[in-house]
Amino acid sequence: MSTPSAEPVLALVGVDKRFPGVHALKNVSIEIGRGEVVGLIGENGAGKSTLMKILSGVYQPDSGEIRIAGQPTTLANAADANGKGIGMVFQEQSLLTNLTVGENIYLGNEAQFTRYGVIDWRALYAAAARQLEKVEVNVDPRMRSDYLSFAARQMVELAKALTLEEHAAGHLVILLDEPTSVLERAEIDVLFARVRSLKSRASFIFVSHRLDEVLELSDRIYVMKDGAVVADLKTADANVTKLHQVMVGRSLQTEYYREPLQKPFREEVVLESEGLSFGHAYQDVSFNLRAGEILGIAGVIGSGREELTRTLSGFTPHDAGRLLISGREVRLTSPAEAVDFGIGYIPRERRVEGLVLFLPVAANITLADLASLTSYGLIDSRQERKLAATWVERLNVRTPSINTLCLNLSGGNQQKVVLAKWLNAKARILILDHPTRGLDVGAKEEVYELVRAVTTEGVAVILTSDTLEETIGLSHSLLVMRDGRITHRTAANPGSKPRQIDLIQHMV
Amino acid sequence: MPKFILQLDRESLRQWLPLVTLVLLVTLVGVFQPSFLRPSTLLQLASDTAVLFVLATGVTFVIMLGGIDLSIQSMASLASVIVALTVARLGYGSFVLAIAIGVVAGLASGLAHVLLKIPSFIATLAMSGVLASSALVLSKERSITLGELDRGYQTWITGTVYGLPNVIIIGFIVLVIAHILQSQTRFGRYSAAIGAGEPAAYASGVKVDRQKVYAYILSAGFAALAGVVLAGRLASGSPTLAAEMLLPSIAAVVVGGTAITGGVGSIWRTLIGALIITVVRIGMTFLGVNIFAQNIVFGAVLIGAVAITIDRSKIPIVK
Repeated sequence: MSTPSAEPVLALVGVDKRFPGVHALKNVSIEIGRGEVVGLIGENGAGKSTLMKILSGVYQPDSGEIRIAGQPTTLANAADANGKGIGMVFQEQSLLTNLTVGENIYLGNEAQFTRYGVIDWRALYAAAARQLEKVEVNVDPRMRSDYLSFAARQMVELAKALTLEEHAAGHLVILLDEPTSVLERAEIDVLFARVRSLKSRASFIFVSHRLDEVLELSDRIYVMKDGAVVADLKTADANVTKLHQVMVGRSLQTEYYREPLQKPFREEVVLESEGLSFGHAYQDVSFNLRAGEILGIAGVIGSGREELTRTLSGFTPHDAGRLLISGREVRLTSPAEAVDFGIGYIPRERRVEGLVLFLPVAANITLADLASLTSYGLIDSRQERKLAATWVERLNVRTPSINTLCLNLSGGNQQKVVLAKWLNAKARILILDHPTRGLDVGAKEEVYELVRAVTTEGVAVILTSDTLEETIGLSHSLLVMRDGRITHRTAANPGSKPRQIDLIQHMV
Repeated sequence: MPKFILQLDRESLRQWLPLVTLVLLVTLVGVFQPSFLRPSTLLQLASDTAVLFVLATGVTFVIMLGGIDLSIQSMASLASVIVALTVARLGYGSFVLAIAIGVVAGLASGLAHVLLKIPSFIATLAMSGVLASSALVLSKERSITLGELDRGYQTWITGTVYGLPNVIIIGFIVLVIAHILQSQTRFGRYSAAIGAGEPAAYASGVKVDRQKVYAYILSAGFAALAGVVLAGRLASGSPTLAAEMLLPSIAAVVVGGTAITGGVGSIWRTLIGALIITVVRIGMTFLGVNIFAQNIVFGAVLIGAVAITIDRSKIPIVK
């Protein structure tokens, strides 16, 4: 759609962004033409979120340029980005549920309806109604937003973004960040129809994990990988397979996931789940986990696999069925109990639930098992330092010292500290909840290698992962979940791993 | 502010600023009033610091894990009333009783905080009201002077050993015990972990609620001890005996460099903070500042200390 002669409405030129230990964006250049819908895809950690945050004024690029209608500019913060015509519709819905639809639409921009400090509500709601008409959604602006369906809220967010038309200079660009993740198919159709009809008013950047939807809606698609834009494809020239190949950037290498190191697991069952259920989240989940086995669970958001891992790590106890650990029936009501049963949780929110960032490496490594370092009530700090140093060496944690705050480590090394914590606590079962999220390729490989090594020693692993490829590559056995139930089981032995497409058909 | 100060890393600032401040203040007061540096004056300074230090030590445990205890001054006053009322009958048992009541009050605040999920400042503010009123009712709103006989039981507080006031020894014992608790035990480590990152501590299997309750028990228990010592020194118990001590106690903790948001801190820092507060107090007396105006200074000092030590990258939103 964009022809070289037409001035792009918005462009990034050679943008670079680094965080401690991560090169998040490498010389990224993209441009968005007038009335164009541009798709943006990539695996988790490819740099999409960072890019979106730069476009919405949350982050500043380290180098490179942002151009609006050809003019170099800066986006100092979200309000500044809004003022320059960039609107956002977020993945995590950003409407305040205790406010009405109208209040949400004009949140922070009430001044135009205000006289002597008092808001003219009739004018505000009338204006909100006009905004809602633009997206053709039939919602009373005086309704509180928590009464709305997710689909309606998404439309309200879109309407909110469109208010920028009234006070932003220039053409609008609206960032749609995973807008379909909580929507049903029929609702998605409506959303897409609106986006198409709004192309006269605005350009869109559409970020999604669902490749088919990106193909359906976008005019052009940027593919990101490891912080760089690796492809700029016209939709006509693309298909799901091709996009996927470019996104992953390699044909599946058995070497990458250390498949030659995948040893057969043992006979001994360490965890049994019999008809395990929890509310609407998951039902009737049964499986066995054996020592040394990596059991991968595949499923989309809402499949129940996330809730299942939270139950197994002690956060939310199941309400029906049986859970047996080493043959003993348990109901885990807190992580402390799970830890007592030899379960270690490696969370996706590494910096929140994985590590105490403001404590040193040593204190984090020993946190889950201080009891064995304690005699007569006192911690043996010499023993503690020795132990921490041993783990740092064994797992090759790159840290200036064991006294360094975990805050100052790179993502990969932080993850190794989390792993060291559980190995030190002699965990027999590890729950890996998106263990490589936000890590770069090298760090990922190190994590894979460590996971292989601990399973060889008999530790059992339950894995949920950001990519199917990783789930398949690492696991001995696979479960597929959909709508809270197991829909498919298969082995994944080296040399005869299932293909992604074999699993996808059971996921959606 | 000059640029080089901004470049000073916040952590080393928090580490060394309190000690430097203390040395500077002592030197300053010493220059203007050389008698201040005599051993007898310094011993007096240490004795005067002891009660404040014990009070501040207790609340340090709560602040370390990110909470606050606003009931400590009421607890200390109540403890002084209990001692004054019961020492004639119970003898040394009155001290045990006062501290036991502190433990129970701390347990109640802690349980209200963790079981009912009430913010700590509300739970302990309410507890403060309960304790203050109890002290008023029990004492019939009067100050109770200890009789000549009762004072015999106070010599462990008022006496001296080889010229060293016992109250300094009590402060020192509290320092040793609290320091070991904070730096050498699982409770101390877990408190720091909870203050610095509660979700990670919880996910690592730390029994978070239990550690919190321990901290409130320690806080109220030490507050009761402070009240007992104060009653001994002043030879009386009164529902307002420890009034105006809450602000200096919390100021002492924070001025010492313990972060009000939790996670970073130590008992040593609280000792330095308490000494700073006392030196400032005495310095103001030398300068002729009205004694009732002192909390104006401590209020300002508290705000300043929090502003310097707070890490805004860690807490973008403050409520």
